[in-house]
Amino acid sequence: MWSLLRLVSLRHVFGAPLRSLLTLIGVAVGVATLVGIAAINRSVMDAFRSTIDTVAGKADLTVAAETSGFPEELLETVRAVPGVLHASGGLSVVAPVKDSPGESMYVMGVDLLDDGFFRTYEGVDTDVGKLADDLEFLNSTDRILVSERYAKEKGLKTGGTIELITPEGAKPFIIHGLLKETGPLKAFGGSVAVMFFGSLQEAFARGRTLTRIDVAIDPRVGLEAMKDRLQKVVGSSIEVDSPDRRGAAVQTMVRSFQLGLNLGSGVALLVGVFLVYNTVSISVVQRRREIGTLRALGATRRRIRALFALEAGVFGLVGSLLGLPLGILVGKAAIGSVSNSISEIYVKVNTHSVQLGVPEMVMGLTLGVLGSVFAALRPSWIASAVQPVEALRKDAAIGAGAVEVKSWPTYLGVFLLAIVWPTTQIPPPLENLPLGGYAAIFFILMGVTLLSPLVLRTLNVPFARPGELLFGISGRLAADNFARAPVRTAVPVSALSIGVAMAVTLSSFIGSFQASTDRWIEQAVPADLFVTSSAKLAGTQNQSMQASLQKEIEAVPNVDLVDPVRLMAHDVLGLRIYVISLSSDIYRSRGNPLILEGSLPDAAQRASGQVVISENFARRRDLKVGSTFPIKTPTGEHTYTVGAVIIDYTSDQGSVIVDRELFVKQFNSDLVDTFHVYVKDLGALDQTRAAITSKLSGRFNAYVLSNAELRQEARKLVGGAFAITYAMEIVAVALALLGIINTLLAAVLDRTREIGLLRAVGADRRQIIKLFAGEAFFIGLTGSLFGVVTGGVVGYIVTKIVGVQATGWNFPFSYPWGTAVQMVVIATCAAIIAGLYPARRAASLDVVEALAYE
Amino acid sequence: MIQVANVSKVYRRGKNEVRALDDVTLTVPRGQFLSVMGSSGSGKSTLLNLLGALDVPTSGTLKIDGREISRFPDDELSRFRRDRLGFIFQFFNLLPTLTAIENVILPELLAGKSRDELEPKARALLEQFGLTGRDTHRPDELSGGQMQRVAIARALLSEPALLLADEPTGNLDSKTGGEVLRLIREATRARNLTVVMVTHDAHAAEVGDRIVRLADGRVVGDDPVRVAA
Repeated sequence: MWSLLRLVSLRHVFGAPLRSLLTLIGVAVGVATLVGIAAINRSVMDAFRSTIDTVAGKADLTVAAETSGFPEELLETVRAVPGVLHASGGLSVVAPVKDSPGESMYVMGVDLLDDGFFRTYEGVDTDVGKLADDLEFLNSTDRILVSERYAKEKGLKTGGTIELITPEGAKPFIIHGLLKETGPLKAFGGSVAVMFFGSLQEAFARGRTLTRIDVAIDPRVGLEAMKDRLQKVVGSSIEVDSPDRRGAAVQTMVRSFQLGLNLGSGVALLVGVFLVYNTVSISVVQRRREIGTLRALGATRRRIRALFALEAGVFGLVGSLLGLPLGILVGKAAIGSVSNSISEIYVKVNTHSVQLGVPEMVMGLTLGVLGSVFAALRPSWIASAVQPVEALRKDAAIGAGAVEVKSWPTYLGVFLLAIVWPTTQIPPPLENLPLGGYAAIFFILMGVTLLSPLVLRTLNVPFARPGELLFGISGRLAADNFARAPVRTAVPVSALSIGVAMAVTLSSFIGSFQASTDRWIEQAVPADLFVTSSAKLAGTQNQSMQASLQKEIEAVPNVDLVDPVRLMAHDVLGLRIYVISLSSDIYRSRGNPLILEGSLPDAAQRASGQVVISENFARRRDLKVGSTFPIKTPTGEHTYTVGAVIIDYTSDQGSVIVDRELFVKQFNSDLVDTFHVYVKDLGALDQTRAAITSKLSGRFNAYVLSNAELRQEARKLVGGAFAITYAMEIVAVALALLGIINTLLAAVLDRTREIGLLRAVGADRRQIIKLFAGEAFFIGLTGSLFGVVTGGVVGYIVTKIVGVQATGWNFPFSYPWGTAVQMVVIATCAAIIAGLYPARRAASLDVVEALAYE
Repeated sequence: MIQVANVSKVYRRGKNEVRALDDVTLTVPRGQFLSVMGSSGSGKSTLLNLLGALDVPTSGTLKIDGREISRFPDDELSRFRRDRLGFIFQFFNLLPTLTAIENVILPELLAGKSRDELEPKARALLEQFGLTGRDTHRPDELSGGQMQRVAIARALLSEPALLLADEPTGNLDSKTGGEVLRLIREATRARNLTVVMVTHDAHAAEVGDRIVRLADGRVVGDDPVRVAA
């Protein structure tokens, strides 16, 4: 077998070097994309997990209320529990760095004496052991320790200061000493500071609360028993768990985002594998006589099949091996964008390095090789059906490949399209994992691919006239040629249509989403100005502000009303949702929330615990008007009743809107994330904005956004989240163009005699160029038209099924006409350009040799 | 009509030099039907390619209609082939996707003429060649003889000055071959067309006015065909 591969196949590979190279590029880029994205996803999750691990240290159990905190007295209660050997409390905040937008520091407040039990702190210029008695460190609210690496990067020294944004505004923090980059200081790329917890509470207006107590237990009691004991003592509103279980909510949250990226990269590989299919099909057609000869000489059918499958496998292997190093480049290029998106939307991750691990390499090689062999199944089956007698035929069916209507590809194609709808109805096996929807998309793409030859062979008729008008008689012939070997032409057409379809799909989803958020902000969030302390959007990267700022803003001329809005990430019913607190009266009178069910609660209902929840939270947890659910708060677990279900796009996990009065009471916090400002005279908006900005600028990295700007930011956030996926679909389209070159190069070979004839009867080189450019034009046009139609269907499924399962949001689908037209024009033009090289090759054929060509 | 003077054509195949034509001189007057005979490798196809402006000689001059075609640039050669020459091939070389009538008008379409103007003329030619009702058939629906007649019609449609035929009966049985030859003979005589036909079939060669024999790239015989007694 190997000798056959070496003797027969490899010679063909080297005999058509350009075609082989294009195929290898296809596989390599496909594998690189897949592997690069997988590596990014793992690096991000690894970074996140290692952050949790390094921050968590060696605790056996952690008592935590990460988002809302609990009174510090609980620490003594926990210490008193029998079986607790050691307990250390702390809290942490993410503090934006003044005048460096987007940069923030993870500040840990700990009792160094206690905490040394769980975490290692090693001083560079400070004796950590003595800090517990260092009154300057303990008594001032502005002393921090930072890592040696961070200090070096920022050019900071002991005694120097760094300005961080606190709820009360920016404050200078004095670097009391440097710590070695060990233990928790390795987290977040070293942007970590350590303070005495009492100082942190003071500096960041956290009252006397902690967010975490680490516990070491008596092993004789056992983990489960201790967990039960502690849970009883701290009450149901606070989680008691082992540190490795923490972060699970975040992983669930990020799952659908990462799955989307993985599938996007899968499409690139799919298109890459199409090139293998293309090449092997071409090879089978062109080597018919050789196959017949091999059969005549005694090669069995199985052997022929194995030969072609092996050939494809070699392409797959070499391509994948080239793809792996390329994958690192893909990873490096995209990691920044991905980690930014995750940081903006979900949770702070700080990873800018990406390594190719063994799992990615194994996956890349396996999928690259198996995908290629799979792609060769059909052509090698066709090869094995070649009869020995064909060795003797001189004109052995060059370029043919008839389309049988009643054949298994047709049946399979129809079957796949038929099961699309039932497949979409399969419920997701895991939260945020819309597997059925994704499978349905794959079925659509495959079904269309299998059925496309049937359509293509009929297209010479509608294409003949336009072809002739555009390119003269060459165009007419191009239309004929296009439809003449539909099985072969279908490959680049399908590859192109998959790339275009996915681009249109994404565009339709993004567009529909953006249109809906636009409408939502306009109607339900109608304030004129939005004031935040340190990020354009309230959320993971923004520091909360103290409530007293409200008075200052109200004092600005032209300000009519100020609504202090809190957006607090909080775990409710196992989801990390946003608890939004706002002034219900302003919300009722000024906003026009898009209510799906129920009505906004009045003052009495609010006092009794009626809240408004978002559509996606309702859908995820099956809540309706009248349903009740618990939320853990610093003042204990409270039960809330759903008064209304509304459209709200604050978080893809869900949101609960609680009246501010109730929130302040139950969550023990009056901090504010965004001030919604309503002005009296819109004409003077700019002056008002300038006045607010100047009032805050010294103290915060303040942003004062207009309603239109807020909408713009929301659009950007959505667009940014999908930027990498979109880029990957463009890569897929580019790979499909390689397929066009590949196919047309083969067509030049197959039709050499015809080209010779045309030249002999008087066609000039331009007419030959037009002939092939015309065929490329038809491939591009058909592929992109198939793509925009398929993309519409897939976009609908993504918006209405995958999106609903992954986000809980059900927003109206809108077809992206602009993108569709753009894709058709660009893809068709690009196809013509791709066709120019084969066309020039055809035009430069020697007429005499071409005529003598067999 | 045709003046070939001291023409040689040398091909390089790797390290070997193949002298396909060696100092050939030949004149063909207008209206003559010249048969070129020779075994394979004698240079007859090379001569035909040179006459058909598909290739250029290594040395010597080649004039058709008094014009030195070996100096034409590529575009002009294309135009020359389109306007002045007709080709008939052994394997017919019809385009499989085109109908009979479309194949006939193809060279004129390439020249940019309109279909409406060409079709009546082409249909008349096909009828004349016994292909009535076959004009919308595709090549795979025609017999070998029919395909060759379509090819002849294609060669004649543009009213060329010179018809070049490369083994036109090589792929046909002897009866059909005879009919095709008769057709070429009659159609060209009626139009006073110059014909150069390459063949290795002595019978076929005798349909012409004159037979030139080639061997190893040289002219080894040049005789008029005696009218059969």
